[in-house]
Amino acid sequence: MGEFKVHRVRFFDYMPSAIRSMAFNSHTERLAVARADGAVEIFNFADNYFQEKVIAGRDGRSIEAYGGPIWTISGNSEGTLLAAGCEDGTVKMFEVLEDRIQFQRNLSRQKGRIISLSWHPSGAQIAAGMMDMIRIFDSETGHATHRLLVDRGVGASKSREVVVWSVAFLNDHTIISGDSAGKVQIWDGLTGTLIRTHLVTKWDVLVLAVSQDESSVIAGTSEGTIVQFQFISSTVGQQDKLWVRTRTFKNHSHDVRALVHTDSAVISGGMDTQLVVRPLLDKVEKNTQESALRKIAFPHRNLVSCAKKAGLLLFQFPDHLELWRLGESDRNGTPGESLPVNRKPEKLIQLKTKGEDHICCSALSPCGSWLSYATVAAVRLYRLQISSNNISIQKVSKLPRELKSVHQLCFSSDSCRLFASSSFSSVVVVALNQTDCKYLHTLKHKSGSRQPIHILSPSEDGQWLATANTDCEIHVFNLRKMKLHCSVPAYSSCPTAVSIHPTTGNLVSVHADQQIFEFSLKQKEYSEWSRQLQRQGLHPLWLQRDTPVTSISFNPNNPAHIMLHDVFMFCIIDQSLPLPEAKTKFYNQMILRSLPQPQRLRESHAFKTCKNFQHLLSVNLLEDLSLVVVERPLVDIVAQLPAPVRQKKFAT
Amino acid sequence: WFPTCLLSNITLLREDMMSLPWDPTERDNMANKQRGEGTSVEKKAENKKGADDFNLALDSSDDEAPEEVTFEDSKARAVESLKLALDTARREKELLKEKRRKRQEFFQEQKVCLTFFSCIINISFLYKLGVHFYAVTAMWSTNLNSGLKGSYTVSTVTDRGQSDYQRQAAEDFIQSRLYGPGSCRSSNNEMLSLQNKTRADKSAAVQFVKKDWGAFKNTINEPQTML
Repeated sequence: MGEFKVHRVRFFDYMPSAIRSMAFNSHTERLAVARADGAVEIFNFADNYFQEKVIAGRDGRSIEAYGGPIWTISGNSEGTLLAAGCEDGTVKMFEVLEDRIQFQRNLSRQKGRIISLSWHPSGAQIAAGMMDMIRIFDSETGHATHRLLVDRGVGASKSREVVVWSVAFLNDHTIISGDSAGKVQIWDGLTGTLIRTHLVTKWDVLVLAVSQDESSVIAGTSEGTIVQFQFISSTVGQQDKLWVRTRTFKNHSHDVRALVHTDSAVISGGMDTQLVVRPLLDKVEKNTQESALRKIAFPHRNLVSCAKKAGLLLFQFPDHLELWRLGESDRNGTPGESLPVNRKPEKLIQLKTKGEDHICCSALSPCGSWLSYATVAAVRLYRLQISSNNISIQKVSKLPRELKSVHQLCFSSDSCRLFASSSFSSVVVVALNQTDCKYLHTLKHKSGSRQPIHILSPSEDGQWLATANTDCEIHVFNLRKMKLHCSVPAYSSCPTAVSIHPTTGNLVSVHADQQIFEFSLKQKEYSEWSRQLQRQGLHPLWLQRDTPVTSISFNPNNPAHIMLHDVFMFCIIDQSLPLPEAKTKFYNQMILRSLPQPQRLRESHAFKTCKNFQHLLSVNLLEDLSLVVVERPLVDIVAQLPAPVRQKKFAT
Repeated sequence: WFPTCLLSNITLLREDMMSLPWDPTERDNMANKQRGEGTSVEKKAENKKGADDFNLALDSSDDEAPEEVTFEDSKARAVESLKLALDTARREKELLKEKRRKRQEFFQEQKVCLTFFSCIINISFLYKLGVHFYAVTAMWSTNLNSGLKGSYTVSTVTDRGQSDYQRQAAEDFIQSRLYGPGSCRSSNNEMLSLQNKTRADKSAAVQFVKKDWGAFKNTINEPQTML
């Protein structure tokens, strides 16, 4: 397989943002996740929970409704009206029109802030969670009809107002509330009386979610637990049903701020920034892929660009970029040994964005002399000059006006071209010379898809550009003729990484469902190896991995190697070795090492995985054939989160 | 403050006002004489006598016709009262501007140490002031834009101070409820150490090389300010 000198990079201080709120569309099976920094991510639950799109956030994203900060927004079941609960005690009603949202009126103003809202399914009433009480409004007249008084906590908490963080209004006029005293309360919304109280935590119940059929309610707490209540009869056969506390899930280490209750799963997110999908075991088949707990902690795209020839790394943060020069070690050693560094890695440039929009994408040219990034509003291009004792960065001021609405950026391998994926699934090609850039061409395909291209991969020789969009299409363009060369046959899962082999000219793609394909650009058909892989099938352990492959690279010294990685492992596929069968031990590197040399070759299979580095954000091969591995251990992220609650463990 | 019957005449009279102060004309002098405001003392005395007579005459009989008032007279009076009214309005506008300026300064100073409760008081104060200001603007726009009958422009006071305060109050609220006193919070370091000690393969407590990692953090988001 070969030895690599590995640059282990742990100085990318990547910090994900807390999950603030979520919404699920059961028709399209998409989950929208809103983060604290204003970013919105879309996950496709039907395609192995792939993070299809990320809409970048903004500094200080606030909505002006002239009522002060908005605490909560809720739409009626028809989707025609939107109610917003404001800081000033008003519930503002907005009409949802085809092209905009229009203010309609205020409901009767209350003396405290409106923290949470819930519409009755009929749209006739709205329950509002406030301080020390819940108000029921008649949505027609705007008047408050009922006032439900919520008990404060016991002991020290008695002196503080109780905050009703969340309310749910059910069809039978039951109101369920979660508050800061740790209670989940069941109310009769018609009479305004309390039916039952459940104390579920010492801390706050921050969020509630109701299942579609209203038979199950989940409550998220500051402890990171999710408590389920089900509407069932306490004894079998009896008619009288009650809300009974059933399950407790401890999915998070920090506060749960957002919940979604689908038919088969509980989806939660909060301050620990991880998205957790917990299938309900009475709704799915046990011990299958479907029933597994899913935790999504890292982005499904690359935030690191590498200048292979210059040994530079570009880190993308929401509001700035960091350019680092890798360290050097001129010593050699044995595998597994840490080499002493004679020049430490160095941060060369920190580039802050101008304005409030966050960065969508960024790129660094292989030679390290060009840097580019894009926000929703603008594209920026910089010329870099880096020598051993001097660094200069020059902004290219006049950019072609075709460079707008950019979703992805990429430089050609000779650093003379910049590719930008633009609107309607097109790619803008721009030529770069010493000091400026010039628009060359817009590459388009004829599939009719309007989805943005999220992967751009130019070939090493500059002849081809492979592109992939979120409609699962892969199109390859001929850059010499500036037109479409071919499209890879449609496959149902979205590509997560695409790359063109420098010597064979084959396109290798890995998809969200972990499938791997190899497509010959010359013959315009799948390669023999790819067909064989499809016939045999991928190993079950490969298919069960729950993080996507985000980049593919090749080894110029060994054309049979395909290098890829996900968050938990780095793998080299050796196409000259036999493919592993389902019963073969997949992770066999340790075993192989213990075997004598002649036996090793007999036992080897094509997938050589290494789990030494975690959690991987990026793996690149430099021109000098050393590997750059960018790790971001999860514990380093957890260390910088806001404080968790104090858990009292027995004997501690 | 000025009678509605004068409203329709404002444009006309305002044009006249533009040419003030007048040079007194022959007619005005005569009007002055009649009112008893003369240039010479003798005239005054004479008039006074006349005035006395007039008064006496009034006292004695109500059947007498009222004093004749010339057009110039009433015009001058109307103009004067209008001038007074417009002056008052202008003064009030200046006062409001001054108030607004002072209010802005006041809030800039108070921004750092304003507590939640005082915020509520100020917000209601601002609302009252804001409403008044809108009304005044509307009225003025009606009168001055003679070409726009019935339509008017209302300008919004984009008072950043107020919205910043509300946002600060909301942030302070959630910050104090979730991370403030009584929230029983630990630190990430402690939590991770406990995890290490209570899992199957026990290991040592977590100690970060970077001193500020894992320490107690009592803010929700750094540096973002989203709720």
